[in-house]
This record gives sequence, structure tokens and C-alpha cells, in this order.
Amino acid sequence: MSKAAELAAETPDFQGTHLWDRLCWAKENLEPHQSDYRVVYENSVDECAKILVPDPNWMACALQGGILPPVQSYWELAKDEAQPNFVKHTRGYLLHNTEPMPAMTEEQAIEYLIMKDCPQSVWQTWNEGNKPKMVICRKDQLPATREWRNAWKISEELATDHNIAA
Amino acid sequence: MASELRVNTLKDAAGNNSVATSVVFNGALKMWANLSGSGTPAIDDSTNTSSVTDVGTGERQINLTNSMSNTNYMTFSGMLNDGNSGGTRGAAGHQLNGQTTSSVKYKIVYGSTASSDGALSDSAIDDGCAIAGDLA
Repeated sequence: MSKAAELAAETPDFQGTHLWDRLCWAKENLEPHQSDYRVVYENSVDECAKILVPDPNWMACALQGGILPPVQSYWELAKDEAQPNFVKHTRGYLLHNTEPMPAMTEEQAIEYLIMKDCPQSVWQTWNEGNKPKMVICRKDQLPATREWRNAWKISEELATDHNIAA
Repeated sequence: MASELRVNTLKDAAGNNSVATSVVFNGALKMWANLSGSGTPAIDDSTNTSSVTDVGTGERQINLTNSMSNTNYMTFSGMLNDGNSGGTRGAAGHQLNGQTTSSVKYKIVYGSTASSDGALSDSAIDDGCAIAGDLA
């Protein structure tokens, strides 16, 4: 069966299936989706802005639905890892046994990704302060070269009282 | 139609050279990502990667979809030799205190040059990272 034909097929019922096996299925059956969205964030005033770039295979999983676990599963694992006596994860089932996320739009997928891969201290208080700690933008809104990369900062001119930050 | 073999041990046709399927799986890479881009990096292809964070000059953070079981995994990284006139460069896994079960960092640094040994540098063409270890 061609990849295009597989795309029309429904995702198998993956609840209880190891997340790794789901990712293998997705890699085999889904076309990668290269997103133009980028997330620029600052989690320290002493460091340059960081830029989060979505993975095209992951984005395909998010758009397809039925593959990725709820983002809360990652938060729970992060709590476990933050314990001083952490050795190894014992609640990996949170990734494999919780009901997978339904299909997301690209924008919903970016929101999920922010909550998964950006520090909570950034996205929970992104609009508190004199300027946003985080901005969602498009790839072509970023510098085309890496000149002075370690000096990149979110513009001081962006106000936090706007709902639209980019 | 998809099919699967359920076996515990693989052997060659003569019945020798057996290997447990658990050895095969445990030895497989659990994440890899190939990046390119002269502005911000983009992931060209990957397995088990949700995103890459461009941390700054010469520093990347790969974020995983299926977390690792612990932080004792092994990191490999490399880059394409782009003939940089400022000196040869290489990529190094960053198994320091920045390594977590959900992300791994690596750095691109100059090799042996008189003025910039070990200094961070941006890869102009391709770089990437992989890890081996146990999944959560």
C-alpha cells in the first residue's frame, strides 16, 4: 500500500501500545510535515534567545492523531526525574497506556510542543514582565544567517498586553 | 498486510551465532536526528525526536518523544566537514549535567587550531546526534 493510501487509513488503536512502536508505525506510514512555525523564548536574562524547531516526523504524528500521549504524561515523568533520589523512570506506562491525543491542527500541535519542550517557567508566565518571554513566529521572520547568534534577543518593542505576540 | 515474528532468539542457518532479540533491540539507536540550515536549524530526518532547540552558537538540544529510562545513555554526534577556513570542526555529545531523560545536548566545536581550540562554532551544512540506551 502506498504512503498516500495509508494516510487515508485510520491510525490503529494504539492505546496500550508502546510509544516506540507507534513512532515506528508513523515513520513507516506518514509523510513528514515540515512546519514553518518557530518558537523563540528566553528563560534567562543572561542568555540569548533559544529557538524551538518542530520535528517533521513528530508533526506528522500530531496531525494524524492517535499516536502521541497527552502532554501531562511528560509533566508527570519530569516530576519523577526532579526527585533527588531519581534513578530511573518507573512510570513509563504513562507514555504507553494513556489515551493518545486526537488529531491536532498545526497550531494546536505547536501549543502542545511548547508545553512539552519549553521550560514551564517560560510558557506559564510568558506575558508577565516588560516584554514577552516567548514568541511564536514563522521561519522567515528570523534572521537568515547566524551572525551574532549569541546576542539574539526578543525585541523590547513587543508588548505583553497584546494577545498576538508575533 | 503487516506481519510480525515473535521469537526470543535469532540464529544463523547452521544454528550458530545466536543472539537474543532483546540484545538486538537494546543495542539499537533510540534516537537520531540529522539537522541542516544556515539560519536556524531544521530537522531533515529523525527517529524519536519531537523538536530541536537552537540554544546558541554551536549548541543544540534534541528533545525526545519517547523519553529514555535514565540518564545513563550514550550520546553520539557528528557533522559534515564543510571545509571551514577557520579550522576543522567537530561535534561532541554533551553528557554533562544538561542531560535529562527527555532531551540531550550536543556542541559543535573547533578542533585543533592555534586560536580557537574547543571554541563553539556553528555548522554551516549538516550535523546530527544519536543516542543509545534504554527507553522509558
